[in-house]
Amino acid sequence: MRREFTGYRRESGRIGVRNHVAVLPTSVASSCVARGIAAEAGAWARATPHQMGASQPDESREQTERVLVGVGRNPNVGAALVVEFGTEDIDADEIADRIARDGKPVETLSVREVGGTAAALQRGRTALDSLNEAAANARHESADASELVVGVECGGSDATSGIAANPAVGDACDRLVAAGGTASFSETPEFIGAEHVLAERCADEETRRRLLDRVERREATADLMGVDLRGAQPSPGNQEGGLTTIEEKSLGAISKGGTTPVRGIVDYAERLPVGGGLVLMDTPGYDVESVVGKVAGGAQIIVFTTGRGSTTGNPVAPVVKVTGNPRTWERMRANMDVNAGAVVEGDATISEAGERVFDEVLAVADGKRTGAETRRMEEFAITEVHPRELAEVRST
Amino acid sequence: MKGRVLGGAALVLADGDSVATALEDLEAGREIHNGNHAMTLTDDVPFGHKFALEPLSAGETVQKYGEVIGRATEAVAAGEWVHTHNCESTRGRGDVAATEAER
Amino acid sequence: MTENRLSNRIGRDSFAGYRRPDGRLGIRNRVLVLPSVICSHVVAEEIAARSPGAVAAPHDHGCGQLGADAEQTERTLVGLAGNPNVAGTVVVGLGCETVRSDVVAAAVDECGLPVRELTIQDAGGTDACADRGVAAVADLRESAAAQEPAEVDESTATADEPAATLSDLTVGVVVDDLADSTRRHAHPLVAELVERVAAAGGRVVVAGNERFAAHPDETRALVGDAAADRLLDAADRPARATRVGTEAAAQGFEAATGFIGDAPVAGVAAYGERVGDGDAAGEGGVTLLDAPSRVEEAATGLAAAGAHLVLHVTGQGTPAGHPIVPVVKLSGDADTLAAVPGDIDLDAREADADDLESLLLAVADGDRTCAEQHGLTEFAIARAGPST
Repeated sequence: MRREFTGYRRESGRIGVRNHVAVLPTSVASSCVARGIAAEAGAWARATPHQMGASQPDESREQTERVLVGVGRNPNVGAALVVEFGTEDIDADEIADRIARDGKPVETLSVREVGGTAAALQRGRTALDSLNEAAANARHESADASELVVGVECGGSDATSGIAANPAVGDACDRLVAAGGTASFSETPEFIGAEHVLAERCADEETRRRLLDRVERREATADLMGVDLRGAQPSPGNQEGGLTTIEEKSLGAISKGGTTPVRGIVDYAERLPVGGGLVLMDTPGYDVESVVGKVAGGAQIIVFTTGRGSTTGNPVAPVVKVTGNPRTWERMRANMDVNAGAVVEGDATISEAGERVFDEVLAVADGKRTGAETRRMEEFAITEVHPRELAEVRST
Repeated sequence: MKGRVLGGAALVLADGDSVATALEDLEAGREIHNGNHAMTLTDDVPFGHKFALEPLSAGETVQKYGEVIGRATEAVAAGEWVHTHNCESTRGRGDVAATEAER
Repeated sequence: MTENRLSNRIGRDSFAGYRRPDGRLGIRNRVLVLPSVICSHVVAEEIAARSPGAVAAPHDHGCGQLGADAEQTERTLVGLAGNPNVAGTVVVGLGCETVRSDVVAAAVDECGLPVRELTIQDAGGTDACADRGVAAVADLRESAAAQEPAEVDESTATADEPAATLSDLTVGVVVDDLADSTRRHAHPLVAELVERVAAAGGRVVVAGNERFAAHPDETRALVGDAAADRLLDAADRPARATRVGTEAAAQGFEAATGFIGDAPVAGVAAYGERVGDGDAAGEGGVTLLDAPSRVEEAATGLAAAGAHLVLHVTGQGTPAGHPIVPVVKLSGDADTLAAVPGDIDLDAREADADDLESLLLAVADGDRTCAEQHGLTEFAIARAGPST
């Protein structure tokens, strides 16, 4: 089993598996400009347009800031340009300073200060070129699997996810943890009904307590909206695929993290430790927002299981698609990376499929492009702490 | 694959489970052998969906992976398709909480 | 910036639009490629990029949403497809999401609007889905060409089909702040325009629900109890504590809503709801929309309500555009006008209501706004609950 790959060594000491220049808008008001600047540059430039407003309540704003800083600090990012319109509560300079603390080249651009949209598009392009030159200076060197932080996601699940793809990815996570790396899975609503299984695996009482608390909070969103969680979880597609309840989905979902002890649980977009074993993150089950949380937490690669065939990617981290559904592998071959369907057909053991996933992760770390990367699938969205939740938190 | 395969047609994930998962599209009338028991499917069961291995009464918990995945909302016969029409979740029930709050 | 272009517009009182087969009049003629969920938005963008005359409306939502929140997203998507600037809609789904592309398409079809639907999972992947989407746009264009939208202008005007005027327009209005410059320079100008549109028999839809939430009694007096209840169910639906809300409370109702003028208020509408011929607002006049003052969310709500164009009053100069409706920027703020002159369409300090009316008619006639010239189409849909 291969353990080495060649990556990009950052000033911080961490290793990137890609060398992108990120273009990070501080609000929806500067998102279009950020997109425009990146679109004119090469594929190395990656914008993260999002729909967060210029003025958010403190809790929401802090979360948006944490995501922007986290994505900028992700080791796959060699340099970053932070773009503001100029009237946002979030200060581009402050975001840039927090990213630059690791020694990463960062610049800022204010649409208002440079005289408007047209001027900003022009200035942004110049800034990107010099940032790309700076990023190109990164040392390209050999690194070990122990330096990888791999985020694990499932989306568009069906019944094969729980019996083939998730256990196979779980096996790969066990291999990564044994090699000294970090595996992280999230999607807290998909712990509901399986939290007792996870709680038993927590390494300490504090982690156990935090885990149960986060699950309770996520379950409360159904009370908040006064509806059955089944309106969204399992999703209509999950139900078509044979998943009947959230408990059933969760019990299948948690197997994607493997069998090692749960070392901790961090909040949305909070830093994931390097060499940390299995660590959970509290995110919604909504795939794109959940993936972004883990990428902001420092994951260099995302492994994403999908029975129905989700095709989403991420602007800065390669997303490796693993399907346990042989039909999806056949039908959506170009969007899928690893076939765990052989498990369902009885042609491979979970361990054999797990080894395939692990090998693919190392190959992608070494530069192999995923289906989502080839097609520039770069969906990006930030979870907003919704006013309903704030009202609930403040009233208790 | 973890669990026990029933004649290549379905998968029982843990001992004591009350449902099995179809490994291919199964048609009503198909005979399934589970150990010494034999049962006939009363419904079509699509790939990935579940059928009952034993009769369930209304309100009885449904087991898969050796854990509770929900509750039968009506009596279910062995060999019957088990899904959202006859099995509900016991968790995340904001609708139930809202009804109780109104009382 | 604006003066040169304005000189061509003064005195204009009609415009050329696109008459739809069902009688509605559009001021742009676009095929909308509408993802039902974020997971299909890259494909939707690719389809639009490869199809002349098509525009994509990529958004962040459509899955992991519960109850009223999911319903609001679905209603808004259907509303956008019903905007008169849209010649037809291709709804693109992934295939397993909460807001289903087939459900959205069926609702659009039920309104009698041209629609096609496809999903990435049915098509067998993103490449095939994009190809099919391009074909679907072409197919829509072809069937639309069979009933080529009549361009209505003065040269073709007849007694049966007169040239389009202010009376044919639905104007969306969002005022995104309550700064001095906005109240002093922009409010009176917009108020006069609103009165003219309403008097001519056109419609005005107004966003900015924080103003009404801050003044429930005055709102009740304005629209009546039943309508006010729909607009003010704030107890069930905490809004963002915004600057506009705080300032509206401090400044009083008259000052906060000064841009509506004395035009009659015909009713209220939910976010994403179409303001149609069937309701009170069908007679013309002003409809209050349950949408925030944040322009990116307001513009979407106004477009879904049926606005042909959005008049955006902004002290700060927020440069938002929208994929399907032109957004016209009006500012009275000296710093903003100096800082981003190329992003503001009209200087409220120097313009009068004739200038504003001429500008709107020119944009309705096809003149491109600053945001259109810059290709600014990033937008947002308001949420009614957290992601799950």
